[in-house]
Amino acid sequence: MTLFNRLFRDVPLATRGEITPKLGFLLTVLLAIVWLIPFLWMVVAALRPASDGINTMAVLMPSLKPTFDNIRDAWEIGDFPRYTLNTTIICTGILLVQFVTITLAGFAFARLAFVGKTLIFYLFLMQLMLVPVLLIVPNLSLVAQLGLYDTLAGVMMPFFASAFGTFLMRQAFEAIPTELEDAALIDGASLFQRIRHIYVPLSIPSFSAFAIISVTSHWNDFLWPLMVINSPDKRPLTVGLSVFTKTAEGTQAWGTIAAGTLMVIAPLLVTFLIFQKRFISSFVTSGIK
Amino acid sequence: MLFSRRLMLGLATAGTLAGALAFPALAGEGPTEIDLFFPVPVDGKLARDMGTLIKEFNDGHPDIKATAVYTGSYDDTLIKTRAAIKAGKPPSAVIMSANFLLDMQIENELTNLDALIKADGTTKEKFLGQFFPALQGNAVINRSVYGVPFQNSTPLLYINADQAKEAGLDPNKPPQTWAELTDWAKKLTKREGDKVTRWGIAIPCAYDYCGWMMETLTMSNGGRYYNEEFGGEVYYDTPSMLGALSWWNDLVSKHKVHPPGATPGPAVSTSFISGNAAMMMLSTGSLTYVRDNAKFNYKVAFIPRNVRNAVPIGGASLIIPAGLEADKQKAAWTLIKWMTSPEKSAWWSRATGYFAPNMAAYKTPDMVDFLAKHPDAKTAVEQLDVAKPWFATYKTVPVRKNLEDEVMLVLNGKKQPKEALVAAQKAADETLKPYNAETSLKLP
Repeated sequence: MTLFNRLFRDVPLATRGEITPKLGFLLTVLLAIVWLIPFLWMVVAALRPASDGINTMAVLMPSLKPTFDNIRDAWEIGDFPRYTLNTTIICTGILLVQFVTITLAGFAFARLAFVGKTLIFYLFLMQLMLVPVLLIVPNLSLVAQLGLYDTLAGVMMPFFASAFGTFLMRQAFEAIPTELEDAALIDGASLFQRIRHIYVPLSIPSFSAFAIISVTSHWNDFLWPLMVINSPDKRPLTVGLSVFTKTAEGTQAWGTIAAGTLMVIAPLLVTFLIFQKRFISSFVTSGIK
Repeated sequence: MLFSRRLMLGLATAGTLAGALAFPALAGEGPTEIDLFFPVPVDGKLARDMGTLIKEFNDGHPDIKATAVYTGSYDDTLIKTRAAIKAGKPPSAVIMSANFLLDMQIENELTNLDALIKADGTTKEKFLGQFFPALQGNAVINRSVYGVPFQNSTPLLYINADQAKEAGLDPNKPPQTWAELTDWAKKLTKREGDKVTRWGIAIPCAYDYCGWMMETLTMSNGGRYYNEEFGGEVYYDTPSMLGALSWWNDLVSKHKVHPPGATPGPAVSTSFISGNAAMMMLSTGSLTYVRDNAKFNYKVAFIPRNVRNAVPIGGASLIIPAGLEADKQKAAWTLIKWMTSPEKSAWWSRATGYFAPNMAAYKTPDMVDFLAKHPDAKTAVEQLDVAKPWFATYKTVPVRKNLEDEVMLVLNGKKQPKEALVAAQKAADETLKPYNAETSLKLP
């Protein structure tokens, strides 16, 4: 329990002697361990020499003779720095445009009055019901007509508007008291100034949540980039890595798959670790300070 | 704060977009640029070998610049090729699963190769004569050539020879009938109480593999799986398929010598390599992998029969999609002929484990040496004498999945073979209905 107190320096003094938070803490630690196991296995498997044979593949104990062969293999399969750059461009590009579109659309649905608002909003939400695979052919035809076949812009294009994001921002904006906006109105703020100085800063938690969801889903997207991209130098990580995981006749080279997967998630992981505090606190910040 | 400067945001967005918008190169005087879509069904490292192969082609053909585009699994490659054709950006050549050709031809997505063969001053018979007869059924539709066999396979029985000897069996006399195979599997299964420590046999069942294995067993049982002459009929609810599925199910639930549930191909080969399964039925495409990884003596043999010896072919052919410009079509044809030449197909065969479809490949000096060293590579080729085409129908993939979903239920102990096959037949007939409405049921 001293460990608990050491880790939880900043828990309110009043609850320090109680048992319930300690139980909660214990449960959290257990969950964290369960969540960590696959990740640990991946690291162990990536460093395991192939000579250990297939029977040791599922063992969590690290090999006594760790090797970087798998990592080298995965690295040589393709141009990983290039793939990482492409995936980064795709994810940030999509996210930046999405921020603009969902802010404006969310505001329109939350605060503006116009004819057919509810109907249009429901039509918007219907987009959530569609299976993305259904849209592959029409989207690809459109991308090709725009001259964006085999370009990164073509990969991003269909995601510039997000039904989920619009819905999320509408909810966030609706929760903001109109008094704040009225005050700005009296000060002579224009519509865009009100969005920029009142709505956006107060909805940062929603923006952060959306950013996490958007980036992770597009980071992991495989089928759509596979459809759009032909040139090897424009491949994102998922397509580059799938060379190992799509074999039917041979076997899964688990060591190489683990090493490749590690490389794919490393940038996301590092980003999360750097911004961890910001993420977590953004989720718990309340509206009015 | 992310949103502190609207201007920055605008600039960043514009910058990202400008960086991402690569303007397509203007067509000018220069080499004809072509794309080859290829899946990697064997081993990820082969993607590199394919790159080597295409580089060699480009070096020898300065007027063509081919790019190899990796496109996932066989099924992914079909999806991508179709989407690209519909978007008006067809690739110049594709390594396409051999049983998708009929479906693509029905949808008018393939280039008829007859004219290209004729322009070379040869005849269809002569051109096709280079390849094993068993492979022609999937490449020829309505007497026209639509594909050129490139990497082909047949299913084989792999036997762990050391374990067979230890169980008092002679690996040089492999089982020839289902009865013998069942007996072998019983003798090779090891149990500690209720727990099985070694399975006698494993047969893969996952999307794509499962349908192929069902066709293998059904053919060995005298059956047909589908109508070879017409793309609107499959024969799921038949005595021959019922016998095949019942035997597979018996291995699992009655004799308990086969792992329960539906096991994907890679898991089957892994358990064979690790000695956890003494025998497996798998494609010859896995042979190179087994050879490189098995730490024991192994044997490969024909698929045992119940009624007759028969197996389907597997693997892929090179095709040219419809709607290409003439110069790209010509360049693609040059590439296809080069890739399927005896030397190249022999080289690819040694790299992958697939057999070389071009018969002359086996007369090349390198291949003669290779076969002398690895006689096991001959088994799949010898089995071609009893090989038949792979099932190919209208909507091959959905019709195949209609059966696979039901077979998985049986192997998982949730359904009996008879009711599963009745359900599969019903679902497949439903999937095939639109085609039959346009063909066999369209009455004058």
